[in-house]
Amino acid sequence: MKVLIIGAGPAAAGAALALSADPDVVVRVIDVGGRLEPDNDAARLRMAATEPAQWSPSDVRIVSQVAQRTEESPLPEKRNFGSDFPFHDFGQLAGVSGEGTVNTHVVSGAYGGFSNTWGAQTMVYSAASFNDWPFPRSELEADYRAILSQIPYAAEQDDLAEYHPLWGDADNLPSLSENSQMILDAYRRHRVQVRRHGVIIGKARLALRGAACVSCGLCMTGCPYSYVYSASQTFDQLIADKKITYEGGYVALRLGENDDGPFVDTRNVATGEIETMRADKILVACGAIGTTRLVGSSLDVFAQPIHFQESAQFVMPFASIRAHSAVTQDNSFTLNQFNMLLPFDEAGKDLVQIHGYPYNDAMDDAVPQILKTPAMRTIRATLLKRLTVGLGYLPSWWSPGFDVTLERPASSGDLAPVRVGPSALDTGQSSKRLRQVNARLLRVAPFLGVAPVLPMVSLSAPGKSYHFGGSFPHATNPSGRESDVLGRVDPWRSIHLVDASVFPTVSATTFTLTIMANAHRIARSLLEDRHG
Amino acid sequence: MARQKRTTVGVTGAGGYLGGAVSSLLREKGYDVVEYRRSAGEDEMGLPVRKLELGAPIEPHVFDGVRSLVLAAWDLTETNSAKSWERNVEGSKRIVAAARAAGVSRIVFVSSMSAYYGTHQNYGLMKLAVERAVLEADQIVVRPGLVYGGTPGGMTLTLSRLAQLPVIPVFRGANLFTAHVDDVVGALATLAVGRDAASGVVGLANAAPVPFKAIMRAVGDAVGSSARTMDIPWRPLLLLLQTLEKVGVPLPVRSDSLLGLVRPAREVPGQDLAASLGLAFRPFPDGLEESFESK
Repeated sequence: MKVLIIGAGPAAAGAALALSADPDVVVRVIDVGGRLEPDNDAARLRMAATEPAQWSPSDVRIVSQVAQRTEESPLPEKRNFGSDFPFHDFGQLAGVSGEGTVNTHVVSGAYGGFSNTWGAQTMVYSAASFNDWPFPRSELEADYRAILSQIPYAAEQDDLAEYHPLWGDADNLPSLSENSQMILDAYRRHRVQVRRHGVIIGKARLALRGAACVSCGLCMTGCPYSYVYSASQTFDQLIADKKITYEGGYVALRLGENDDGPFVDTRNVATGEIETMRADKILVACGAIGTTRLVGSSLDVFAQPIHFQESAQFVMPFASIRAHSAVTQDNSFTLNQFNMLLPFDEAGKDLVQIHGYPYNDAMDDAVPQILKTPAMRTIRATLLKRLTVGLGYLPSWWSPGFDVTLERPASSGDLAPVRVGPSALDTGQSSKRLRQVNARLLRVAPFLGVAPVLPMVSLSAPGKSYHFGGSFPHATNPSGRESDVLGRVDPWRSIHLVDASVFPTVSATTFTLTIMANAHRIARSLLEDRHG
Repeated sequence: MARQKRTTVGVTGAGGYLGGAVSSLLREKGYDVVEYRRSAGEDEMGLPVRKLELGAPIEPHVFDGVRSLVLAAWDLTETNSAKSWERNVEGSKRIVAAARAAGVSRIVFVSSMSAYYGTHQNYGLMKLAVERAVLEADQIVVRPGLVYGGTPGGMTLTLSRLAQLPVIPVFRGANLFTAHVDDVVGALATLAVGRDAASGVVGLANAAPVPFKAIMRAVGDAVGSSARTMDIPWRPLLLLLQTLEKVGVPLPVRSDSLLGLVRPAREVPGQDLAASLGLAFRPFPDGLEESFESK
């Protein structure tokens, strides 16, 4: 069987991992293939070859460029090894526009996709998160485990396992920052009181080689040692093992099926040449919006809004009563260190999550200009020593989501123009829920010694969470724009959507692991079908 | 009774009220039962007992041969909430994880009607935390209501003593779901060995709430007490109990127990699931008097 995978992000990696288990399956992966700039990559490689003490200041300066402010969100846009390549337009963003403050950097052309720059949070969805899905979590358990066995994983058994089981073997996390540890210690001392107010706290679970981490503080700008997982690592390995072939430099334009089977028309980014590629099965993993554009334009879904479900993001700075000893990211890991979980129902479906981040240099960069003057240095340090930044997520059913509208492309060699706009379905639920989150956190503040800075709590712009999908949701008996449980949209039988575009809902639990597991499940089912 | 297929069922807390009763019933029904208690040895019938103590290390092979496990153990002696959490919640979670890793295919966790979303009771919060771990492992949680009947013990004994006071304290608005012990034990046995039990929460109680005042009057009648009931305002009493607990005064009733009484669950969960399994719970006070007559 020949399988063509379009895309090289986490969904594609999950599918490729499943397919590569069968030596009789020929797997070809194509994508846009944007890469880190050579100078930045060279600096990264030099650093990876030595201990942090030997790093040259100029290399560190290149790769540690902090996140950049954008108009869409109070949260700056991350940089990876000093580059914007995960967000850069390599041709895949042609025709993408947005209304108002909507994020438009929504399709990655990078090899590895947005996983080059993600927060690495790796958590199994709660069982009840699947209540609106056409299959239970138990059907994904083997796939979750398969993925977790193939990626770096640092996680510890704690209260979060009451909702998100810890499947697979995991490293411990590296030592936490003082602030994070203070919060976790306070939670352990006052666990019953905190939980009485509906707040549960545990350590982060990360796609990170925790045992190898040297705590150099550069996690948020790119780990020089590649200890933070990116889908590109999976592809690098599968290519090296000759289990797949990979070709970058292609933009997928149109899908279809005919008597000869499924096909995809592509454009070579360098030459502009149009090429039709065929396989027995095609798996579409371009990221939810990239996939929606490709599928929608292939099925003539033009000039009508396609609703996207998004787990809305909010930024929640916390101020602690006690200060940590120094304002520095040195000697620590700076990824998400702890998670707050706020259940709003008994079943474990209506969950809100907040990921707690320790100090990193981007926070210093983001303080108001007035605090950056030499005269304000002491005040700035005093504030930063007490700062923990929470990135929170609401489930999609409490979030506004957004709409995507496709326009017919000017020619067969062009991508369909995409307009991303606010959702007509927004009921204002997110603001109400955010107030409830604030209220709970204020009630537990005396126990935890840390309180949300309410005037600075804000919902991010639509699309900014990068946790969105649901344009072709799985359904048992699909109709209209729904897909079946194998990600097939009518009338196609051999084209499978495998990324978040097929998610019926988007839980507040960070979803990359579930994307990979679901893609793995669909790909595994192809192998099972093949073997009868 | 014809001997059924010999499924081996483990029961923790087998020295307790419900654990002991379900062990006996399963044996009567022809199942092999492995009793777990704080120390290994023999039970009252001379049958072997395996050691499994909440909060203590779990010995290897302790679940050998066990297919189904009823978790009825809970230590109420620890009054410090942090220590109680470590022993009961973390201890129970470790047992669940170890049992699953050892291949135990079904776990039935005996929780409480005090465990519900929004509970403020420590006991309910702790039970709820274990429930979550059990449910995420695709297993079964049961929440017995106020269990009465049988040999006077547990709550039946407590209530009978209360009913013999000169004045019986009752609390306005305190309504409880009740269950006869035989119905609860029968349900536990069904869930432990039945084929079709899906993961979920099943309330083991009659769906009609009974005012605490009515419960106490019925218990008073059963024990021949003619004492009058008196409505006690619970908030000042709760405050008093909490204050006395903070200064270390030993009390016969804990503030947390009072909270459970006056802030009960509003409904019996999983009634559809219970009905689908043929589980039925007689209305209160059916079967109450027999327990005192047999005494």
